[in-house]
Formats: sequence, C-alpha cells, structure tokens
Amino acid sequence: MSDTTMSEAAKSHAADHGHDDHDHHPTERQYWMIFVILAVLTAVEVAWSYLGLSGPALVLPLLAMMVVKFFLVAGAFMHLYFDLKILNGRLFTWAFAGAIVLAMAVYAIVLAAFEFQI
Amino acid sequence: MTDLADPGQQAPVAGADAAATANAEMDDHGDHGGHHSSLGLSNMKLAMWLFLGSECLLFGALISTYLLSTARFIAEVVAENPVVLNGLRAGGMPEELIQEFIHEASVEPMWDIPFTSASSFILLMSSLTMVLAHKAVSEGDYRNSRVWIAATALLGSVFIAGQVYEFTAFYREGLTYDGSLFGTAFFTLTGFHGVHVTGGIIMLMSLLVLSFRGKLRQDRAETVELVGLYWHFVDIVWVLIFTIVYLIP
Repeated sequence: MSDTTMSEAAKSHAADHGHDDHDHHPTERQYWMIFVILAVLTAVEVAWSYLGLSGPALVLPLLAMMVVKFFLVAGAFMHLYFDLKILNGRLFTWAFAGAIVLAMAVYAIVLAAFEFQI
Repeated sequence: MTDLADPGQQAPVAGADAAATANAEMDDHGDHGGHHSSLGLSNMKLAMWLFLGSECLLFGALISTYLLSTARFIAEVVAENPVVLNGLRAGGMPEELIQEFIHEASVEPMWDIPFTSASSFILLMSSLTMVLAHKAVSEGDYRNSRVWIAATALLGSVFIAGQVYEFTAFYREGLTYDGSLFGTAFFTLTGFHGVHVTGGIIMLMSLLVLSFRGKLRQDRAETVELVGLYWHFVDIVWVLIFTIVYLIP
C-alpha cells in the first residue's frame, strides 16, 4: 500500500465516519451573524414587553420570537439542521419532527386538562 | 493558528505499516466513542440527543407545573383565599406587596426585567463562544479553543452569579421556596436550570484541563461538540424560561 493509498484509505475512513461533517457546519462569520440575530430578537422581545400590550397582542409575538430563537440555537449552534441532512433517509427526520410535535401536543393537552379542572 | 501538531497528520508510512496505522486510527477513533451508527451520526452524539430528549421531558414537566401553579396561585390571590394570603404573610412578604398582588393580579412587579435581559444576553453569548470553541478544536487551533472554552465557562459563571443575586433579592422581598405555590414552582424551575448551568461549567472546566494536558486534540473534537450540545440545550431552556416566566405576565 503506497503513501497515497494510505492517505486515501484514511480519508475514506474519515468520510465514512463523518470526520468531514464539520465541512457542512456554519462558518465563524455565520455563527456571529446568528448570534447578532438572537441578540436583536431578545432586545425586541424585551421592548415588546414594555409596550403595555395585553392578551394575544402581547403573547403571540413573544411566543413567535421565542420559537424562532429556539430553532436558531437548535438548528445552527446544535448543528441539528446539518445533522438531520446527513442522516440516512427521510424516515428518521420525519420521526424526529413527529416526536417533537407529539411531545408538544401531549404537554398542551395536559396543560389544558389541568386548566379546565381549575 | 495551530500551536500543537495534529496527531492525525503525522508523517506518512508505507506498506503494511500504513494499514496498521489506518487500523490504529480506527481503534483510536473507537476509544472515544466516535463510531457512527447506521443513521450516519456517531453513537455518542445519538446518545447525547437521547439524553437531551429526556431532559426535554424534565423541563417540559417543570415549565408545565410552573404555569399551572402560577395560574392557580394568581386565581387564589385574586380571590383573596385566606390560606394562601396567610402563607405569604408567614413567608415574610410585606403586606403592601400582597395588596399589590391582589390589585395587579400579577407577579410581574417583582421581576427586574433589565437585569434578567442582561443575564439572557450573557447566556446567548456563551452559546456563541461554545460553538467557536468547537470550531477551533476541530480545526486544530488549540490555543483559541482554550480561550473560547474559558470564556464560555466565565460567561456561565456570571449567569449563575446573577441568578444567585436575583434569588437573594426575591427572598428579601418575601418570595420564599415554601411560602407559596408560586415560589415553590418558580424556584424549582429556575433552580433546576441553574444546577444544569453549573454542571455545564464543570464539564467546561474538565475540557480546559484536558486541553492543557494535551488530551483534547483535533480527533477528539466530538467531545467538545457533545459538551456544546448540552450547553446549547441549557441555553434553549433559558430562552423558554425567559419568555414564559419573565416576559409574559
């Protein structure tokens, strides 16, 4: 086995084992951009809470911004967006998304059940 | 900037030695649990995601309990339930604050939103330094990786210091753990989160020690990524707590 062959074998092993996963991750500049977006969203959230609004006008935008922040951190910082792309097949991705929706639905139903009991 | 050689880029060897080296690389890879599952991700990463899934259930339950307890607490305060009000008085809450609770039907006046916003910003920034630490290790930039890991631990410590200050201020205002249903739910939720942040700081300090001993090389970048997954999860939980507990009355 030549030097070249060894190098290619190592590269092949690395590719098989996902060493090049990091190539799909965001760049440093993109990480900073995501952080700026998160910081701005947090500032907007705080400012919105000081507007003196009440009811859905207050709660819905705050929840929407919270969800955006949630998915930005999970998708970019936790590499979930990139890891889901390299998972074999779509079944796992759908199962993952389905589990999140199911879990949130269960919590919503439980909360609603207790709320009505009160 | 690389101040240490990457062990994965040592001088090439020929023939049978090459195969042996490749096998050794695989064995070494296996030592740190980097073998990948049939799903395309490493077993360690999938295990961490499973762990974080269980953590979702824990914090989901705590947040649900908080919401239910707060709703019940406010309803009883508004109804001027004597048992609840006496509980608040026994906890040392001043009468004017209790009357403010009844009047406002809200616990919002107790929050120091600017202070908590600063804490949230600090925790968000620690997520940025965490991903930069992982990126630096995976690129073999060990000196900068130590800087980013230390910065993440420092920012986490500042967040915890802020939480201790906040808890102390609430305690002095009469909000105690056992004084009311609301106090119990609030301190349990935010306290559990604080314990998780503290656990993350310990993990980061361990990474720093490993790095200074030269054991946190490029081929172990996944270890940093796993700690990062945990750290970002803790950050995400705070994103939820900050909006649900502090911003939505």
